[in-house]
Amino acid sequence: MTLDRVDSIKMDYVDPANSLNMPEMADMTFAMDFLIRVKEGVRNTATALTETVSPDARALLRTQLHQSIALHQEITDLMVRKKWFHPYDLREQYQLDQLSAENTVEIGKLKLFPDDTRRKSMFDRTPDEHIGGNMA
Amino acid sequence: MINQQQMLAAHESLEIHEVLNFKTLCLAKSKLMQGLVFDQELKDLMQKDVQQSIQAIADLQAVYAKAPFQAPVPEFRPTPILK
Repeated sequence: MTLDRVDSIKMDYVDPANSLNMPEMADMTFAMDFLIRVKEGVRNTATALTETVSPDARALLRTQLHQSIALHQEITDLMVRKKWFHPYDLREQYQLDQLSAENTVEIGKLKLFPDDTRRKSMFDRTPDEHIGGNMA
Repeated sequence: MINQQQMLAAHESLEIHEVLNFKTLCLAKSKLMQGLVFDQELKDLMQKDVQQSIQAIADLQAVYAKAPFQAPVPEFRPTPILK
């Protein structure tokens, strides 16, 4: 099973036949990223609120905290419903964690981009040359 | 005294600075991620985050304008740092 999966990525990753489950796995990753961002937002906002005295700043942060908590609940519910997240079945969650870690490490090993991605010499001049932008 | 009431305290301003930058990054990411996501429901939720973040950023900017180090905002990025 493990070998199979590793092979399919090494084999030919542009062949659609080898991208079975790819959309699902990609969405799971994006959802996890989204969840972690929202969660971090809740914590950041709560921390900021405890450091703030001005009434209008406090009111704003409190509103945003409530909004973030509501969004966190929505994304959590979505992920549980789509079976991307298993807070009540840790064995299942363990398997997902290990699989996405392995797959992402494999993606990390791929050469996806050209070596030189500087856009130098694509333009014959820079718009901010008069203030020395070309020398920055 | 009146001035102190209108202005944010220094440490509060830095909290707003952090929250504002966090929100800005989240907005950028939620917007860009929508181009990669397959699942429609996930995409809709990200769009909701985009809408909420735009409003949140506007509100934060209004509060951040009361920071003691507030300054007029230029139209473009800061001038390049030359050696």
